Amino acid sequence: MANNFKKQKEGMVENPTVSGVIADILIIVFLVIVMFVCFIPLWHVLMASISDGKSLLAHEGLLLKPIGGITLDGYRLAFSDSSIIMGYVNTIIYVVGATLVGLLINTTAGYVLSRQSKMKKLFTLFITFTMLFGGGLIPTYMVIRSIGMVGTRWALIIPGSTNAFFVIMMMNAFRSVPESTVEAARIDGAGHLRVVFRVMLPQCKSMTTVVILNSVVLQWNSWFNASIYIPNKRELWPLQLWIRQLVSDNEGLLKNANPDYSRYLIQYAVIIAASVPILLAMPFFQKKLETGTMAGAVKG
Amino acid sequence: MSTAVKAVKKRRQREPEFDKVSWKKDIKRNWVLYIIFIPAAVYFIVFHYLPMFGIIMAFEDFKVSKGFFGSEWVGFKNFMELFSGETFSLVMRNTIAMAVLNLTIGFICPIVLALILSETKVVKFRRVASVFSYIPYFVAAMVVAQLAKEFLAKDGAITLLLSFLGLEKQNWLANSNIPVFWIINLCIDIWVGAGFGSKIYVASISTVSGDLHEAAAIDGAGRWRRLVSITLPGILPIIVMMFTLKIGLVFVTGFDKILLMYMPTTYETADVLSTYTYRMAFGGTPNYGLSAASGLFQSVVGTILLFISNWLNKKATNQSLF
Repeated sequence: MANNFKKQKEGMVENPTVSGVIADILIIVFLVIVMFVCFIPLWHVLMASISDGKSLLAHEGLLLKPIGGITLDGYRLAFSDSSIIMGYVNTIIYVVGATLVGLLINTTAGYVLSRQSKMKKLFTLFITFTMLFGGGLIPTYMVIRSIGMVGTRWALIIPGSTNAFFVIMMMNAFRSVPESTVEAARIDGAGHLRVVFRVMLPQCKSMTTVVILNSVVLQWNSWFNASIYIPNKRELWPLQLWIRQLVSDNEGLLKNANPDYSRYLIQYAVIIAASVPILLAMPFFQKKLETGTMAGAVKG
Repeated sequence: MSTAVKAVKKRRQREPEFDKVSWKKDIKRNWVLYIIFIPAAVYFIVFHYLPMFGIIMAFEDFKVSKGFFGSEWVGFKNFMELFSGETFSLVMRNTIAMAVLNLTIGFICPIVLALILSETKVVKFRRVASVFSYIPYFVAAMVVAQLAKEFLAKDGAITLLLSFLGLEKQNWLANSNIPVFWIINLCIDIWVGAGFGSKIYVASISTVSGDLHEAAAIDGAGRWRRLVSITLPGILPIIVMMFTLKIGLVFVTGFDKILLMYMPTTYETADVLSTYTYRMAFGGTPNYGLSAASGLFQSVVGTILLFISNWLNKKATNQSLF
């Protein structure tokens, strides 16, 4: 698509006019502002995390460079704190666990919905109905509580592992596999499971990756379920909850007469630690996620 | 797309009509399928369908110790309490105000960004700019909320910027005057979503035929004219589709950011339906019945909006979402 676009623009020869040049300049200025606004908040936090705590507190406004001498105290304190390391480990457990459980449900359900059978219509309705109507926050909480998941890791792995959108994305992917391939495998004696994992999944790699990546980003950034299902179990908290905790701890810290200013830096260090893995991975999967948005928007 | 649809239709014709096959034959052929479906069935029943039965809580004076079946049945008392409460009218006002801002200004921003991106002649620069604009989309809601606190605090960068415009230095998030929180919320939604949201429009602009542009240029149409008369009509179907989609989802998005940013002093202008539902259940004095009633109200309105959005979409683009 991008190539098409390029060709189209190159193919058109226009004489530069004064107003045209002004428009081009305005466009570039506007986009530079957009880039600045998108990028600078995180840059500010990054600079704050390596600044000197005391001068940082006295500072007003935006930080474009570290203030009061570069120090890694914030990171040192954050990563010598076992609870934050634990938070990192927990986040990884939840991301991997929920994505795997989700993948199992998405592939099996997506496969069943993509096959012809007497129950197909009923099953499709069964899944899509959950997109239209839900029980709401409290009834869901009560159900999860009554099966004994509240206060355990399972509450963060299983309930949020998938949703109807992911199942339907997988269903669409499986439907696009040519029927002849499947038939050939069936005639050669492959069962359903072999068809799913050996024939279909390799052909739907792209959509499967989209679903997995969506799930990873979703789980990595999620905090709400943790805050209601494991509010008091700090040893199970994901990193995101620690960010909130550290910020409110710091508000208390500043009321002290003679606070340890480098503790003030921890909140910035942890925000960076929690954002960097996803942002570093972003360029690699940004394209995949985009295709997912499209497929999700135009589903059959 | 249409070729894919045709292929699917053709394939379906070849498949045996399963409606006519007997159950015995179907089970003999497909029993493995039905077994494979079990994990998904269990998941959706437990986490999606059981909670739907849980809405009876909305009609009970629910006590955790007594459970769903032991609690006292009070009929519509919770709803009476919900709808007659003073908080409810404030909550509805805030919900609708933020939804409308999001559906108008918040909806236009990604389109404008996409148009500007596509007007950029330097391809490399365009690519870099769009990658930068995606960054906020991947920043966690928790981090976004902390950034907002940092930048809108009394010594924050945005507060400083606004003070040059003559506005008093203050913690903007604690300001409970009317449009303040709404505007903050809108700006954050735009910051987070505009870049990523523009992607679908950029893709759709690139499919608008270059011949049309060329023909118009020969006829003397300037850039602005071509933008308005060729590009915009070209992407109108996508705009309509995204708009109807957004109507359907307007009640469910963005609630966790508000939950992290609002505070007792700003409840009056920041509280929306979902945060109210949350606070009634997990706040200091839980009222589960009231929370369930408010949650049910929210679900029902959400469902109605989805049907409206689907109906509008069918009217406008002949495509049905479900």
